[in-house]
Amino acid sequence: MKRYIGIRIIYLLITLFIISTVTFFLMKALPGTPFDEEKLAQLPQEQKQMILTSYGLDKPVFTQYVNYIKNVAQGDLGTSFFYTGQKVTDIISGRLFPSALIGLQAVLLGLAIGMILGIVAAYRHNTGWDYATMIIAVLGVSIPNFVLAALLQYYVGLKWGLLPVAFWESYPSSILPSIALCVGVIALIARFVRTEMLEVLDQDYVMTAKAKGLGTIRIMFQHVIRNSLISVITILGPIVVNLLTGSLVIENIFGIPGIGSLFVDSIKMNDYSTIMGITLFYSAFYVLVMLIVDLLYGLVDPRIRLASGKG
Amino acid sequence: MKKKKVGLLASLLVVSAMFTGCSFSGSDSKTADSASGQTTSSAGSAKELKLYVENEIKDLDQWKASDDVSFTVLNNVNEGLYRLDLKNEPQPAMAEKADLSEDKLTYTFTLRDNAKWSDGTPVTAQDFKYAWLREMDPKTGTNGYSFIMTDYIVGAAEYAAGGSADQVGIEAKDDKTLVVKLTQPTPYFLRLTSLAPYFPMKEDFVKSKGEGYALGADSMLYNGPYTLSSVDAASGAVLVKNQGYWDAANVKVDKVDLKVIKEKSTALNAYKAGQLDRVLLASSDVNASKSDPGFGTGINFRTTYLQFNLKADGVSNINIRKALEFGFDSKLLADQVLNNGSKAATGLIPDVMSGIDGKSFRETQGDLVGVDAAKAKEYWDQGVKELGKAPKITMLVADTSEVKDVSTFMQSEYKKNLGIDVTIDTKTSKARGQLMDNSNYQMAITAWGADYDDAMTYLDLWANHTPYRGNYENADYDKLINGAKKETDEKKRLDMLLAAEKTLLNDDVVVVPIYFGGYSFLLNDRVQNLEYHPYGNPVDFKYSDVK
Repeated sequence: MKRYIGIRIIYLLITLFIISTVTFFLMKALPGTPFDEEKLAQLPQEQKQMILTSYGLDKPVFTQYVNYIKNVAQGDLGTSFFYTGQKVTDIISGRLFPSALIGLQAVLLGLAIGMILGIVAAYRHNTGWDYATMIIAVLGVSIPNFVLAALLQYYVGLKWGLLPVAFWESYPSSILPSIALCVGVIALIARFVRTEMLEVLDQDYVMTAKAKGLGTIRIMFQHVIRNSLISVITILGPIVVNLLTGSLVIENIFGIPGIGSLFVDSIKMNDYSTIMGITLFYSAFYVLVMLIVDLLYGLVDPRIRLASGKG
Repeated sequence: MKKKKVGLLASLLVVSAMFTGCSFSGSDSKTADSASGQTTSSAGSAKELKLYVENEIKDLDQWKASDDVSFTVLNNVNEGLYRLDLKNEPQPAMAEKADLSEDKLTYTFTLRDNAKWSDGTPVTAQDFKYAWLREMDPKTGTNGYSFIMTDYIVGAAEYAAGGSADQVGIEAKDDKTLVVKLTQPTPYFLRLTSLAPYFPMKEDFVKSKGEGYALGADSMLYNGPYTLSSVDAASGAVLVKNQGYWDAANVKVDKVDLKVIKEKSTALNAYKAGQLDRVLLASSDVNASKSDPGFGTGINFRTTYLQFNLKADGVSNINIRKALEFGFDSKLLADQVLNNGSKAATGLIPDVMSGIDGKSFRETQGDLVGVDAAKAKEYWDQGVKELGKAPKITMLVADTSEVKDVSTFMQSEYKKNLGIDVTIDTKTSKARGQLMDNSNYQMAITAWGADYDDAMTYLDLWANHTPYRGNYENADYDKLINGAKKETDEKKRLDMLLAAEKTLLNDDVVVVPIYFGGYSFLLNDRVQNLEYHPYGNPVDFKYSDVK
C-alpha cells in the first residue's frame, strides 16, 4: 500500500510538471499584457517597455519559464499582476474556503439524498416511488443550476426572506448556493445507484441471502448497497473536484468570493502568475482525489488489489 | 471496525477545523436585517450606506491602480489638493488655496494647517512630491496612467523616459507650500489634482511597509473623509468616518459598506431585500423600474466609437468611411437596444462637457454626426466606384455583452441602409487591444472615458499617430491640438478644439461616435446627495446623508 501511494505521488509530480509546462506556453500565447491596454496605448513605446521590464516580461518566454519553474520548486508561486503585490498562494487560500464549503455541502447533500432516492427507486422498482424518483432525477439533470440559483434567490431570499439574497457574511449565506449546486448531484447519484442496485438485486448471492432467511435491511446494507457503491465512487471523484473548485456562475449569482470566478477573471486579465497557481492547484487536487477514489475501491471491494495494478 | 470509526471521526475533525479556521467576510450576520427588509445599521444610531461595486477591488496602491473600482475606494479614504464637489467643480481639499502665475504656468499650492494623516502627522508638500514622482517613474507607476502628469508638468515626460527627477517642475518649498510648473497653460489642472494619481503619500510609511504596502486596511495611511476598517478584494470593503479629517464636521455618514457584486440581477434582488441603498439597472429592468420613486439616470463622460484603421484596405477610402458614418441610427440604438440611460452620440465630446461662457462644448459645436441613409448609400457607391469593387468590411469588437449588442445592431443597420454584410470579429478585450496595437484591424468598436472635464481629454488622443488611434496623421490637426495646449485665451483655445473635432469626424472621418455612456439606477429614498461624477473619480461619499 505504501509503495503504491509513493509511486502515485511520483506520478503526481510528473503530471504537475507536464501540466505547468503546457499551461505556461499556452498562457504566453494569449494576446495582450496584464496591464490596462487602454491607458498603455497612451504611453510612449519606451515607457511601455520599461513597465514590461520591471515585471520581467521583456525576457524571452523560455527564460521566463525556467525562472518560473525554479521559483515553483522553492514553493513560490509568485505575486499577482491583477491584485498587485498580493502573493498567489494568499489569494488562492483566501478564495478557497467559500468554494470548498459550498462544494462540500453540495456533495454531502447530493450524495445523501441521491443515495436515498436511488435506493428507494431500485427497491420499489416499477412502482410510483420509482417513477417519481426518476422524474426528479430527469428534472435535476435538465434544469441548469444557474436557473435554479436565480429562482432560489428570488423566492427563498427575496420573496420569503428566509435566507440572505447574496453576499458572504455568515453561514446562512452558504445554504442557497449549496442547494443550487447539489440538485444536479442528487439526480446523477440517484440514477447511478438505482441502475447499479437493480443489477445487484438480480445477482445469485442476493437470492442465496434471501434463501438463507436474512432480513431485508441486512441484505440491502450488507450485500446490495455496498456492491452498488463502486460506480458511485467512480463518478464521485470528478463531482468532488468540480464542486470543490468553485462554480463561476453560482459564485457570481450569489456574490461569493470563490475560486471559480478568480480563475476565469485571471485568464481574462492575463494575470499570468494566478493562472499558473490555480492550474497547479486544480491539477494537484484532481490527481489526489483520483488517488483517494482508487484507495476507496479497495475498501469497498477487497477483491480489487491496488498493488497488483488491477482496478 | 473501531479503527474505521476513529478514522472517520478524525476526518470530520479535520474538516471542521479547516472551516472554523476560516471566516466569512462580515463578522456580524445580517440575515435578520435582510429578511425583514430593514436597512438599519448594526450600530443603531450610526448612519450607514450600503453600496456595491461591479468588480473586485483589485488594487489600492495608487501607483498601480487604474480602474474605477479602486478609484472609488481610494478617493474616499485619501484626498488630493482639490476634490470635486456635487456640481463636479474642484474645491480646495488638502490645499487651502492655489495661486496661479500670470503666465498661467506656475501653480503655488498652500496646504491647510489641519491636513493630517490618520496617524496624526501632518500632510506635507513633500508627500505630494514623493507620490507624484513615483507615479511618473515607470518602475513604480505601472498603471499606465503617468500621462495624466507627464503631459503637463515640466520635465516629467523626460523623467518618465529615464531622465532625472531633479528636472521635474515640482518643488516642496516648505512643509506647506508646493510649487508646480506646467509646460503649457492647463485650465483644468485643478481638476486633475483631484484624481487618485495626484494623491499624496507618506514616504516613511510606504517604505516601512515595503512590498506589503496597500495590501490591507492596516497597511495604508489615510487622509480622506474615511478610513478603511476592512478590505477584501473579492467581497468588498468597509469604510468608516475619519475623525481626524480636516472637514470631519461635514461628513454625515459614519460607515459605508461596499460590496462586490458582479451580477446586475443579484444586485437588484439585494436592493429589493434592503441589503443595498443603490443599484444600477440592466437594460431589461429599466422599463419596469421607471415608476419607482427611486429611479434615476446619470451620464458618464464616456464615448463609445468606431475607430477606423486608415491604412487598412477598404476603409482607407474616405467615402467608404463616410458611408459607415452615416449608415446607422444611433438614436434607435441608444433608446431601443441599450435603453440604460445612454444617449445617441452627436459628436465625440459628450453632452454637458464644459465649454466656455456657461455653454457646453456640445452646445457650441452642434451635431456633427447622425443617420442619413440616402447620403450614406451615395457615399458607399462613390467609394465602390473609386476602389473598383465593393470592399469587405470587418468590425473588430470585444466580447462584452453590451458591445455585442451594439455591433449586431450596426451590422443590421448597414445591411438595411447600405446593403452590405459586415463581418463581426469578436475577440477578448486583450486580444482586441493587441490587434489594434499591431494595426491588424479594419475598424473596431472602442471607447474612451474622460479623465477630466475638458474636450482635450478626447481630442489629444489622435495626436499620437499610433495604430491604436487608426494611424492617423494630419499636420493641421496636430497644429490645432498643440495650439490649443499653448493658447491662454479661452475663446481662441475653444475654437481650435471645435475645429479639431470637426476635422476628426467630418473632414477626415477617423472615428465615428456611436453613443454617450449613461446608466439607470434605483436609489433608496432615505439617501441624499449621493452623486456620481461623470468623469475622474467615480463618487464622493463625503457629501452624502442618510435620513
